[in-house]
Amino acid sequence: MNRFLDSDFFHDFLRAPVALISFCVVLILILSAVFAQFIAPTNPFDPASLELMNGFTPPLEANMFTGEVFLLGTDDQGRDLFSAILYGLRISLFVGLMAVTLAMVLGVMLGLIAGYVGGWLDNLIMRLADIQMTFPSILIAMLIFGVARGLLPPELRYEMAITVLIISIGLSEWVPFARTVRGSTMVEKEKEYIAAARLIGLNRWQIMIRHILPNVLGPVLVIATITFALAIIAEATLSFLGVGAPRTEPSLGTLIRVGQDYLFSGEWWILLFPALTLLALALAVNLLGDWLRDTLNPRLK
Amino acid sequence: MSENLLEIKNIDVTFKTRHGILKAIDNLSLSVNKGEILGLVGESGAGKSMTGAAILGLIDPPGRLSSGQIWYKGQRIDQAPETIRGHEISMIFQDPLVSLNPLRRIGDQLVETILTHMPITKYEAIERARKGLEEVGIDPERINAYPHTFSGGMRQRVVIALALAPEPALIIADEPTTALDVSVQAQILDLLKRLCRERGTSIILVTHDMGVIAETTDRVGVLYAGRLAEIGDTRDILTNPKHPYTKGLVASTPRIDASSFDKTLYQISGSMPKLDAMPCGCAFHPRCEFVLDKCRSDIPSIIANRAACWLLDKEESLL
Amino acid sequence: MSFVVAKNLTRNYDLSDPLIVRALTMRPKRILTAVDDVNFSIEKGTTYALVGESGSGKSTIAKMAVGLLKPSVGTLIVDGKNLNDPALAREDQLALRRRIQMVFQSPYASLNPRWRVGDIIAEPIKAFCLIDGIKAQSMRVSELLEQVGLAPSDATKYPHEFSGGQRQRISIARALSSQPEVIVCDEPTSALDVSVQAQVLNLLKALQKEYALTYLFITHDLAVVSTMANKIGVLNKGRLVEEQSPAGLFSRPQQDYTKMLLNAAPSINFD
Repeated sequence: MNRFLDSDFFHDFLRAPVALISFCVVLILILSAVFAQFIAPTNPFDPASLELMNGFTPPLEANMFTGEVFLLGTDDQGRDLFSAILYGLRISLFVGLMAVTLAMVLGVMLGLIAGYVGGWLDNLIMRLADIQMTFPSILIAMLIFGVARGLLPPELRYEMAITVLIISIGLSEWVPFARTVRGSTMVEKEKEYIAAARLIGLNRWQIMIRHILPNVLGPVLVIATITFALAIIAEATLSFLGVGAPRTEPSLGTLIRVGQDYLFSGEWWILLFPALTLLALALAVNLLGDWLRDTLNPRLK
Repeated sequence: MSENLLEIKNIDVTFKTRHGILKAIDNLSLSVNKGEILGLVGESGAGKSMTGAAILGLIDPPGRLSSGQIWYKGQRIDQAPETIRGHEISMIFQDPLVSLNPLRRIGDQLVETILTHMPITKYEAIERARKGLEEVGIDPERINAYPHTFSGGMRQRVVIALALAPEPALIIADEPTTALDVSVQAQILDLLKRLCRERGTSIILVTHDMGVIAETTDRVGVLYAGRLAEIGDTRDILTNPKHPYTKGLVASTPRIDASSFDKTLYQISGSMPKLDAMPCGCAFHPRCEFVLDKCRSDIPSIIANRAACWLLDKEESLL
Repeated sequence: MSFVVAKNLTRNYDLSDPLIVRALTMRPKRILTAVDDVNFSIEKGTTYALVGESGSGKSTIAKMAVGLLKPSVGTLIVDGKNLNDPALAREDQLALRRRIQMVFQSPYASLNPRWRVGDIIAEPIKAFCLIDGIKAQSMRVSELLEQVGLAPSDATKYPHEFSGGQRQRISIARALSSQPEVIVCDEPTSALDVSVQAQVLNLLKALQKEYALTYLFITHDLAVVSTMANKIGVLNKGRLVEEQSPAGLFSRPQQDYTKMLLNAAPSINFD
């Protein structure tokens, strides 16, 4: 830990205001999502606690029937928007994190194999990546989502919605990981320490996992951060289009979709606050990713 | 001192890092006479390439020439090195591809260099370019070829032609033959030597190879940890070194000799200090066999126009 | 029979265009012979040096000698066993590999930058199952570090904390850790400064004496060879053009190519 605090990386970080602010924003959002049940005044997922009379209360104004005051107002069903955003943030972050992890594991493995083994396997993997890259990833995600929902029995569809969401976003974002890892792997495998490992009879898998993997992870971290922002946006998009998280357990995208219905009838807050939260989260993660890329990649300096 | 083409007076090159200021070159003074080949030899990190870069004002931030003066033909140039860079002083790098644009024909690059520095017509410039190629042993008919069609040695010849084209008074050659095979290296060094003798051009030859120094240079400066350890006539220094570091360097250089086998090579123990961990006093004292008390506390300057070593001071006072 | 024997060692590289391109352009296959029918033998406990310029095929021979590359034709025999025998069982192959290790040219690329020095040196010990128990293994690593002139406490450091010469010592310790009998040294000092080069060459010589190691020493530097080799082979364009003892080679070179190499080598001697 002391080594980290003394590193150039940490030193640069303290002197990059954009990175610092972004990091704080992300940290606050993550913490408030993790501790949502302690921060949020109500549980928005509990239909029993909803009071329809509270519907459409503007922020910081007393409801005309019940007299209750809500920080960010309520939606059409009387759900406290502040609580809904915290819980929605939690779903969005969870889906984003799991999707990135899936994409990363898949992409890194395929990239390692393509780069180290080479030959027809490399061709197969990379052509697959090329084909996937010709479609917008959101389209791929929708496709996978649709197919998965079709395959699932109806009673499982509701329960599995989040899982299906994660898998479809994860499968649509593996390509950048694979391409980068493949490139670095091809550089690393020519180095002499790999020859030394081959000399003592290690097999391909041992060399890939033990020797090459630790040396290609640097850029992966950068891509993971940027992909995390993409995954959160993809989740919001899917939910916005109505194919993602269900209304009863709304994510940020679902909240925006609901809010959008009321934008032109004057209830602006239902759309605005979830949208601002999403914007802050995606922007901060992206800026952090950009800074990481610039710092960890001396070629761009 | 009218013979001095270039004079470096007490220059420091410093790098500002967050751990403090590091001195890559510390109080270095040397001069280059007209028409001579001066060698700068040292281990990696000794500051020999940095010296060449300092003369041409090519030190990148966070490094800078923080004190001292550089005089060229009686003119101070450390404030405005652009005025002489390329025209009066040109540079040859280890990798020929640094100096050659891979997308342009070598002839175009030569002509462009000539035209920037000389008030002549394009036709004359082309003629000069052809002559320049011929001088370095390249068929002038290849004037329209691209750099990648040449071998490593041939490319370095093109670079020499390019460096000589503006008829500079001084060439700084930074490890010009390190990337080449020995047979090619010998040709390139001979070529460089011959052309400069013919034209009276001076050369600063930066290298780590004592053999190259012995065969090419008139005088040599030995650098250690950013400081000048010893300077003087090449033959004198290599046959009768005064500084213990130079002694060690000469003794540890393997020689082609049937009797070398079974002999253990002389070795200097340890390694050169890093810039952020410089010892007090003489930078060499932790590795020195003849260390005196004074060496541990005081930095020696060049004594008797020869070596920066307190041993010489002792010798002098005994005389 | 000598300890290491290279018999008709040949390595071809196929530089041809893909089949379909060749069929369309009617061009024949292009084969580059990097190593062409090279024969040599090394006695146990001695050093055989292969000297050559770039493109002479010396690194290709080094790779074939340790089994990183298969010869197109010919065989390498170590202690009577054919290194490339396809009939060799995996255990026998592994056992043979243990006896032939390598020290590489680049002190920077030859050590995994993410591994601690102790783990780097211990890896061959673990891979060949030479010593059981983590404690005994780390004892052995300390011993090896001391043998190459480093401190046992260096085991917990990372390669970037060391200088070029020290890294080359780590590389030697790793090569020694499997208790090999043959070490192929591929330009082990060409990236080092002279004073450090002397340290590494002396270390290699001292280790040879102590363990009766057999060296195949690959270099472009005739001066380095003169202090190391019992026998020198001169390679030119993949062919072994001359083979002599250093004394013979330096006083009576037979081939024009050898003479040219000797003349071109920059010498520190004034005469």
